[in-house]
Amino acid sequence: MFALALLITLGVFAFTIYRIVRFFRFTRSGFPIKQIGKRFGVMFRVAFGQTKIFRRPVIGLAHALVFWGFCIILFGSIEMVIDGLAGTDKALSFLGGFYRFIMGAGDISAYIVAVAIIIFLFRRIFLHIRRFEGIEMKKISHVDAIVALSLILLLMLSLAGMNIGYFEYKTLSGESLRGVYPVSARMAGLIGNKSLTSMHNLYEVCWWTHILTIFVFANVLPYSKHFHVFMSVPNVFLSRLEPPGKLMNMDNVTREVKLMLNPETSFASAPTDQPVERFGVKDAEDVVWKTYFDSLSCTECGRCTSVCPANITGKKLSPRKVMMDLRARMKEKGPLMIRNGKDYNDNKSLLRDYITEEELWACTTCNACATECPININHPSLIVDMRRYLVMEEASAPGELKTVFSNIENNGAPWQYSAEDRLQWAKDLSFSIPLMSDYAARGATPEYLLWIGCAGAFDDRYKKVVRAFAKILNHLKINYAVLGSEETCTGDPARRAGNEMLFQMQALQVIELFKSYGVKKILTACPHCFNTFRNEYPDLGGNYEVINYLQFLNRYAVEGKLKINSGSLDGKTVTYHDPCYLGRANGIYNEPRALLNRLTGNYKEMEKHGSFALCCGAGGAQMFKEAEKGEKEIFIERTEEALRTGAQIIASACPFCMTMLTDGLKYKNREEEVRNLDIAELIAQSLEL
Amino acid sequence: MSVLVYAQNWDGKFKKSSFELVSYGSKVAEMLNTSLICLSIGTVSDEELKKLGNYGAGKIIRVNNEFCKILDNQVYTDIIAQVVLKEEASVIIISNNTEGKAVAPRLSVRLKAGMASGVSKLPLSIAPFTVYKRTYSGNAFAHLVINTDIKIITLAQNSFSLIETPNNAAIEDMSVNIDSSLLKTVIKDTQKQTGRLLLTDAEIVVSGGRGMKSPDNWGPLVELASVLGAATACSRPVSDEGWRSHEEHTGQTGKVIAPNLYIAVGISGATQHLAGVSSSKYIVAINTDKDAPIFEVAQYGIVGDALRVLPKLVEAVKELKK
Amino acid sequence: MKILVCISNVPDTTTKVKFVESDTKLDTAGIQWVINPWDELSLTRALELKDDAAAGVKSVTVAHVGPATAEPTIRKALAIGADDAFRVNAEPADSYYVAAQLAEGIGREQYDLILCGIESSDYNGSMTGGMIAEFLGIPSVSAVSDIKIENGAPVVIRETDGGREVISVPMPFVVIVQKGIAKEPRIASMRGIMTARTKPVRIYEPSAKEPLTRITVFEKPSPRAACKFIDPENPGQLIALLQNEAKVI
Repeated sequence: MFALALLITLGVFAFTIYRIVRFFRFTRSGFPIKQIGKRFGVMFRVAFGQTKIFRRPVIGLAHALVFWGFCIILFGSIEMVIDGLAGTDKALSFLGGFYRFIMGAGDISAYIVAVAIIIFLFRRIFLHIRRFEGIEMKKISHVDAIVALSLILLLMLSLAGMNIGYFEYKTLSGESLRGVYPVSARMAGLIGNKSLTSMHNLYEVCWWTHILTIFVFANVLPYSKHFHVFMSVPNVFLSRLEPPGKLMNMDNVTREVKLMLNPETSFASAPTDQPVERFGVKDAEDVVWKTYFDSLSCTECGRCTSVCPANITGKKLSPRKVMMDLRARMKEKGPLMIRNGKDYNDNKSLLRDYITEEELWACTTCNACATECPININHPSLIVDMRRYLVMEEASAPGELKTVFSNIENNGAPWQYSAEDRLQWAKDLSFSIPLMSDYAARGATPEYLLWIGCAGAFDDRYKKVVRAFAKILNHLKINYAVLGSEETCTGDPARRAGNEMLFQMQALQVIELFKSYGVKKILTACPHCFNTFRNEYPDLGGNYEVINYLQFLNRYAVEGKLKINSGSLDGKTVTYHDPCYLGRANGIYNEPRALLNRLTGNYKEMEKHGSFALCCGAGGAQMFKEAEKGEKEIFIERTEEALRTGAQIIASACPFCMTMLTDGLKYKNREEEVRNLDIAELIAQSLEL
Repeated sequence: MSVLVYAQNWDGKFKKSSFELVSYGSKVAEMLNTSLICLSIGTVSDEELKKLGNYGAGKIIRVNNEFCKILDNQVYTDIIAQVVLKEEASVIIISNNTEGKAVAPRLSVRLKAGMASGVSKLPLSIAPFTVYKRTYSGNAFAHLVINTDIKIITLAQNSFSLIETPNNAAIEDMSVNIDSSLLKTVIKDTQKQTGRLLLTDAEIVVSGGRGMKSPDNWGPLVELASVLGAATACSRPVSDEGWRSHEEHTGQTGKVIAPNLYIAVGISGATQHLAGVSSSKYIVAINTDKDAPIFEVAQYGIVGDALRVLPKLVEAVKELKK
Repeated sequence: MKILVCISNVPDTTTKVKFVESDTKLDTAGIQWVINPWDELSLTRALELKDDAAAGVKSVTVAHVGPATAEPTIRKALAIGADDAFRVNAEPADSYYVAAQLAEGIGREQYDLILCGIESSDYNGSMTGGMIAEFLGIPSVSAVSDIKIENGAPVVIRETDGGREVISVPMPFVVIVQKGIAKEPRIASMRGIMTARTKPVRIYEPSAKEPLTRITVFEKPSPRAACKFIDPENPGQLIALLQNEAKVI
């Protein structure tokens, strides 16, 4: 009978998995599984170590206990299957001490998990947890959650019952106990009328309840958000290993762009192997298989949405919704494609029918969602892939971004400025700025290329920051040069906005320029340029040592060559806003703080700092467009947070952040008492340069 | 040999630009040692036409028939061409305004007359006939030689001052033969602009920024706009805060405008804002911060408190308009 | 209905304009060439009309007078969505010459609507559109801010000094459009760029026509003077300057 139950379970499960695998077949390849060792490391830390879950320490502990409990109890469940098939009784007890340890741990776990589940159920039913709500959280999601939690509770109670029954009937019958059941033993003491029969029955009933519940649960899971029970550990194993700030290259676009840049082929007729494959993602079958895997693993916990700056300020975007929509759409279209072929058109699509353009254009690509996700789902790559479809297939984008694209294409910067004006920032400096072309004329190469970036060249406020940094470089007698009017946009805003083609055109041109100058080391103050050079240019053949100015300055400070005078700030309190493209995107958190702690004894963190920092709102090309409809502006939210620290100086390390925070201070009418300064400016000030 | 000026009328009335055009024509006629003829099309009273005489017109020709009630480019071209040929005019001067741009090019082909548009000075020389023309959107000026016997010049608006040369000009009613099949333009509906001056159309714009400190302070700014006949605009933070309507937001992500005069009050001149107004012919900045970037692009500036400066400006304009 | 859009090849608007050969020619070194912004908007509107099935626009052709170096600009127009193009292989000597060549090229086929931008950012002539119409002997409507197709016939909005007029004219005619004709210019999609390579571009040799005007020399405007500061206690001075010096009030 057991065998029959098991067979049915396995059969149903196999069928469900088969269906899902068939859905996977429609998706794209493009996620090679390499670096296995590293993957195991990630899996142990994030999945088994629950490191991401602990980002919310209190409730995270509860979840971790449930997860660990499950892992331990898994052993017992396997034994139950063996017992069921072979008719044995506790077949694995021959493992001796290890067995007693596992069973004892399992017993303790049963109660801990049960308590945790009760807490979870209480929270869901009686408390108003914000991240459990949202337009994507329909009634079915709530029911799903409650049913799954209840089933788990039943599993735990039945396990407890099993253990109590077993303990009692063995004790009463005088037979030797296999395994150790510390808690159940004490719980058994609380039961009044115990007879051998009733305890044996308790054991049997609970045994069957437990194993059948497992069978049912296992088959329900693929249709539930709790599929993550199966999917989470593999999903973590299959994590994206690249730095979060990196967007993946589109190789089919590279091919085209290279043809376009070569004057001989640019108007030649198209190659006959013209890729029919769509650019970007419009519908479920356009995603890379790993993205679909992500959507199946998503447990709708909402941690991603709860940290999304767009969502926090009332915009329509919800990273959770994006993943849930993909799963739902494949569930809808998958069977249709199985029946009618991959090209079947049901006149619906993931884009617009599920995920609207408004949601897609609200994203700041801050990576808070991906950083927060306990199982390393990567939402931003799907959002950008959908932007890529809009821009590259439909030439559709918010008007201001189209202007940005035209500007980058025509004059090499997101704003309309002539490249000839790129050295205006250096006007009236007491020393001259060395040019790469001058070095080349002498047949020499400087050690560093100092990359100014478009903001440094054309943004009036940020020009002051570049001047400050140049003064420090001059003071340290660093051997560097700039490109001056030869600089052009790295293409970063184009890529974030989905214009992969324009990005690659810019990147390939810059790489060509660097090649002609033999550039090896790049020093830059803009985190966006830094991220693009460091993480994205290598895919296109540009490999350089890319150094962010804070890493540079900190190294010199540590080596004692940069003597920062801590008195220069007159004891003012300083707080620091982590730029998303330095922090979450590239993991640079310590250097700025090390430098600030040299500058002042009064350093204060904002509530959300480090990898929890709230985006300033300018990333993902938001800087260049009107914000999507919402309740509040992201930059105001962040400025308010900065002001709450009571700091007189808000330190920043990015031109976009600086624009947003400065605007924020003006908006709050605090620009007299509180100042937003770049770390380079603070250091230059301390050196009295 | 004469110089012919075509003076547009608006509901039978001339504007300041019409008299500027006649003044210009009068000077050109002087250079060529010839007479100045003014042409008017449509229903215009003798009294109104005589005004043209005050600026140097020697003869005033009025053409009025059933075909010139509305602007049909072909009809107007035909009328002007016939008059030019009858009067043997060698230089034709038309305003570089909407109507001028519609008609003058057709005339050029019709008469095989070389044309220069957007001219802002008197001819630099008459042999060869050379004029000064704006090119590259104001980044350069060209000396343009017109090689043909008949020459057409369209005069840039607001570029030549009035010169009174009173002349007792005779008014001649001329009839021209128009083939009825030439009139093809059918006007299905006319919408007269009501009320507020559209921002993107306005020649003068008065704009306020965060330096105004509060929406309650907008009164003097609106008054200045009113006395100047200007439209009002604002910078982004002002429209974000709801102090002014979103419609008034000028800048990179708002409206891009290019008025003759842009008065920026309490606006610092951030890149994004300047992106929307830098094509203005003249920029005036009023700001308490002498280092504000706006002063780098403004031709005129006042470093002072807008709330004190604005009322005084309003008074000065009122004085002027008296 | 077949629409033809005339396009002009101009230096990008951020170009710092310089002259060579004793200031007689534009220094083309390092210049990024783009479609004249007015023509870009004009092309966008034409494509919007084509996208609307009810409008019945069969094709959008672009036309240009220029040497082979103008190819990229023409391909850009094709990438944005035009179906085909023709180029008259000649230097654009003056507007009269350009209009004559375009009129001849246009005359080879039957076009119902001919769109021209009201000016080009390099010459600021505002002449070519009207000239083409006169060469072809067809009507023209200028200062157009909108074109719609109603019941298979075009209806245009002409801006006047006091408002606007809704006008209909029998086809074929020339529409001279100004900014506002389209909300923002279209950009080329990746797909568009790829297909642009195979779209036909006919090359015509110019007919014997002479330009009527000639530029002899260019002048740079006097450098922008530093801001003139007026005493805040005497703002009336500003008004006087605005009236007499700037002549804007």
